[in-house]
Amino acid sequence: MPMYGDLGNKLALHAKRTQNLVHLPPYQAELVRAVTREVRDLDKEVAKLLEPFQGSFDPAADQATACTLLVDHLSMRRNKRCLLAYHRTRTDKLEEHVWNGVDVLDLAAQQAGNPNGGGVGAGDGGVASSLSPQEEDYVRQYGDLLAAYKGQWTDIDLTGSLEPPRDLFIDVRVLKDAGEIQTEYGAINLTKNSQFYVRQGDVERLIAQGYLQKLG
Amino acid sequence: MSYYDVDAILTDAEKIPCTFQLEIPDLGYLDNTPTQPLKAGTKVNLPLWLAEMLVIANTGAADNKTFVTFDLPRALANDVVQALKADPRAVPLRDQSAHFYGLATHMLDLSEEQELGSVLRKTFVTRASEISLHARKVGSVSHKGKGKGEGAAEMGSNLGVGSAGEDFLRGLDEWERSLFRKAHEGAKAGKEWIENIKKN
Repeated sequence: MPMYGDLGNKLALHAKRTQNLVHLPPYQAELVRAVTREVRDLDKEVAKLLEPFQGSFDPAADQATACTLLVDHLSMRRNKRCLLAYHRTRTDKLEEHVWNGVDVLDLAAQQAGNPNGGGVGAGDGGVASSLSPQEEDYVRQYGDLLAAYKGQWTDIDLTGSLEPPRDLFIDVRVLKDAGEIQTEYGAINLTKNSQFYVRQGDVERLIAQGYLQKLG
Repeated sequence: MSYYDVDAILTDAEKIPCTFQLEIPDLGYLDNTPTQPLKAGTKVNLPLWLAEMLVIANTGAADNKTFVTFDLPRALANDVVQALKADPRAVPLRDQSAHFYGLATHMLDLSEEQELGSVLRKTFVTRASEISLHARKVGSVSHKGKGKGEGAAEMGSNLGVGSAGEDFLRGLDEWERSLFRKAHEGAKAGKEWIENIKKN
């Protein structure tokens, strides 16, 4: 027999699994909805239980009702904690991606095309993404914040690699078309499968974003 | 322990045996009989997040009764404690509960089992040293190609632990597992760093 909080526990298990994954699994829209619905039902029940007392409920006089109210309250509190922890686990992951320069929205769209990634979230509202619309918004705004923060220092890249480079120039291969970029030595047109000898500092971002592959 | 800690949340889902002290008409569903009242004296397994507060909360009546009383869960039953006293390393804690220590800590908060606390402390210390030993050994397996004489010796000692070691590692609870992971990563990172220094 299912009990209050069981669904919330499922969310916690999803969060646990998410922690150990590199990519974000599909958003559990259906489950989240079910847990919030449960909270609403519990709230209605509390209101119904309290109605006859007209705001003058005495726990000592009616212990059975007091206990039921406590159980309802604890169940709501539990669900809230599960919901918050689930979403926090995901936003932590998203923030990490943003800092690492991973194009999360692009990645999410790719993953949705993969049949193994298809979960409850994927079949939702036609938008094929493992992120909820709110999460996509969050990523976008967090990215803007980070860019604004980084913009304060033009001579240092806060999200750059912490490894000191061994060579100033490196060989790179282009994995997907990235268009034309400007460097100190003129413009380079990055077309797929071509190879270049470039200054590492000029292309670090493109390597992190997966456009280029470092050779050697 | 943070509010958002997923492991803490999962620990709170562990169930403990409780006994209701009064009849409650609306809570029959906790005992699989939603249409009937929950009778006083009914034994129900409740998750910690629910049981904890019900055990502590005062009914507000003059006799100072609580809504429910609880017993120690199966994972902390006497035979388990006796086995831990005999040899902490021989008990697969995971079979008792995936969050064995978390569950035990909660129970110690709620009850006054003095002996249990000291048994558990000894259990953790004994097992922790065993865990760190295994964590280092696992690391050496992947490096067996390097340094001929040394590698062979390490492999030899690794064989010594053998399947008994595997059984032990399978019996770790979540907390011990994270300890193992950290010890393993620490040893590995240390080794990598030293090798890097040598290279440059």
